[in-house]
Amino acid sequence: MLWYKSWLETRWRFLIGLVLLIFSALSTVFTYPQVLKLLPMVPQHINGEIGRRIREAAELARDFRGYVWSDWFRQNLPEKWTLFAVLIGTGGLLAHSSGGGTLFTLSLPVSRKRLLGVRTATGFIELFVLAFVPSLLIPLFSPAIGQHYGVGSAVIQSACLFIAGSVFFSLAALLSTMFNDIWRPLLIALGVAIAVSLVEQAPQVSYGIFHVMHGESYFRHGALPWLGLLASAVLSVALQYGAMVNIARRDF
Amino acid sequence: MAESLIIETTDLHKSYDGVEALRGLTLGVPTGSIYGFLGRNGAGKTTTIKVLLGMARPSSGQARVFGLDVDNPEIRRRTGFVSEEKDLYDFMTVDEMIRFTAPFFPRWRADLEQRYLRKFELPSNRKIKALSRGTRTKLALLLALCRGAELLILDEPTSGLDPAMAEEVLQALVAHVAGEETTVFFSSHQIAEVDQIADHVAIIDRGCAVVTGALDDLRERYQRIQLVFDVDAPQAGFRAPGVVRLRRKGRMLTIMSSGGTEEIVEEASAMHPLSVEVVPVTLKEIFLETVTGEE
Repeated sequence: MLWYKSWLETRWRFLIGLVLLIFSALSTVFTYPQVLKLLPMVPQHINGEIGRRIREAAELARDFRGYVWSDWFRQNLPEKWTLFAVLIGTGGLLAHSSGGGTLFTLSLPVSRKRLLGVRTATGFIELFVLAFVPSLLIPLFSPAIGQHYGVGSAVIQSACLFIAGSVFFSLAALLSTMFNDIWRPLLIALGVAIAVSLVEQAPQVSYGIFHVMHGESYFRHGALPWLGLLASAVLSVALQYGAMVNIARRDF
Repeated sequence: MAESLIIETTDLHKSYDGVEALRGLTLGVPTGSIYGFLGRNGAGKTTTIKVLLGMARPSSGQARVFGLDVDNPEIRRRTGFVSEEKDLYDFMTVDEMIRFTAPFFPRWRADLEQRYLRKFELPSNRKIKALSRGTRTKLALLLALCRGAELLILDEPTSGLDPAMAEEVLQALVAHVAGEETTVFFSSHQIAEVDQIADHVAIIDRGCAVVTGALDDLRERYQRIQLVFDVDAPQAGFRAPGVVRLRRKGRMLTIMSSGGTEEIVEEASAMHPLSVEVVPVTLKEIFLETVTGEE
C-alpha cells in the first residue's frame, strides 16, 4: 500500500511530465521536414559563441540522427526531464504541504527506511518511464516522415540521461529530508541544476553531469561515458544514503 | 499483586534545540485503564506521545510500551493513534484512506469499520481535504479503533470540536472500550472530559508528572481544609506531609492536601481556629492547584 500512496502523491507530476515529454518528442520528429527547408536560410556570418552554436546546430541537422541528438537528447529532453526529476524528488515524509499525514504515516508499523525506500523507488520508476518512453517514440514515428532512428541509440542515450540525471532527483530527495516544506528543496535543487547547466555551457568545460546526460561521446564516437555514468551513480547513491540517514535520525 | 503496566516511562527527558520539553517524566499506565494525560498547552503531552510512538527519540531516561523499547515497530502494529492535528492524507478519499490503512494491521476489524462508517456517517467518496474538522476527527478515530489495537493513544482527540461533536466522539470512545479489551491513553487540557471518561490520570506540568494515580484515589486523597479565625489567619507552617498549597485570605486559611488530612487538621486545631472544615475537591481544583498559582 505504500507504493499506492507514493503513486497517488506523485501521479500528477509524473503524468503531466509524461504528456509534455511525449508531445515534445513527437514535435521533434514531425518538425524535421520544416527544419530541413529552413536550413539554407541559417545565417553563416554571425560571430561569437552564439554564431558557433547556430552553425553547429545547423550542421547537425543535416542528417536526422544529428538533428535528433541536438534537438532532443541534448536540449529538450534533459531540460524538461531534469525539471520533473526535481519535482518528483521533492516532497515525501516531511512535506506537510504535499498532502499532510506525516504523523499518521509514522504511526504505521513500517520502518522509516522502508517509507523512504518505497518513495525513492517509485520516483526512479517514474523517471525511468519519463526518460525512455518519449525517446522510444522517436524511432517509432520516424518512418512517418521517411526517416530512421535506431532503437538501440534511443535506449543508450536515454540510459545516459537517466543514470546521470538521477543525481538531481536524489538531491531533491535529500533536501526534502532537511526542510519541512516542498518549496525550499524544489528551489534549491532547481537552482543547483540551472547553475550546473550554465557552468557546463562554457566552451572550456567539457566534463559534467549534463555532458554525461547528453551522451555526446556515444553520439560522436560510439563510446559510452563510463566514468561519468559511474561517478553520477555513486553521487546519486550517496545523496540517497544521506537522505536515509537524515530521515532515520530525525525527530518529528 | 502488582498491576501490569502497558506504558512505563522512567526519568524521561527530551530536549529540542536546547529547550527541555520533558524533564524527568515518570509514568505508569495500567493495562486496561482509560488514562487521562492532563496538562496545559506546551506542558509536554504531545512530546510524550511522540516518544512513546518512536516519532521522537528521548534525550535520556527510559520509555517502554508493551515492555518493548519505543523504537520497536511492533508497538505501532498494536497501537491505534490519533494525532492532535488529525493529519491524514488530503489527496485521498475517505474510502482510499481506509483501504490504505487496513492492510498494515493484521487484526483490522472490518465489522467495526462498517459500524463506524454508518455511525459517523462518513462520506466514502469525498476527499479528505474537503472534510470538516469534526468529520476528519471521526475518520481518524475510525482508523485508530479498527486497527484491532490493544492500546489507543489519542492526542487531544476532541480539540477543535464543538461540544456536541466532542461528546459524540467521547461516547464512541467509551462504547468502544466497553466492548473491547483496550487501554486508552489520551492527552487533553479539557479537565471535564478527563473527569468524564478517565479512571486514571496524570497531570503533567513543565515536562514533569506532578500528580498520578487512579482518579477515585485522587479524589479521596486530595482534600481542602478550610480554617476560619476570629482575627487574620496566622502565617502557618505545617510539619505534616501532604500539604500541596496554602492560601491565606483575611481570616481564612485554606490548605490543599494530597493525603495525611487528619495530621494536618490536628496541627491546624492547635492554632485555635473558630472552625475547621474538610471538603472534597474536584479534578479541576487539583489541576489548578498543582499546575498554577504561587504562594
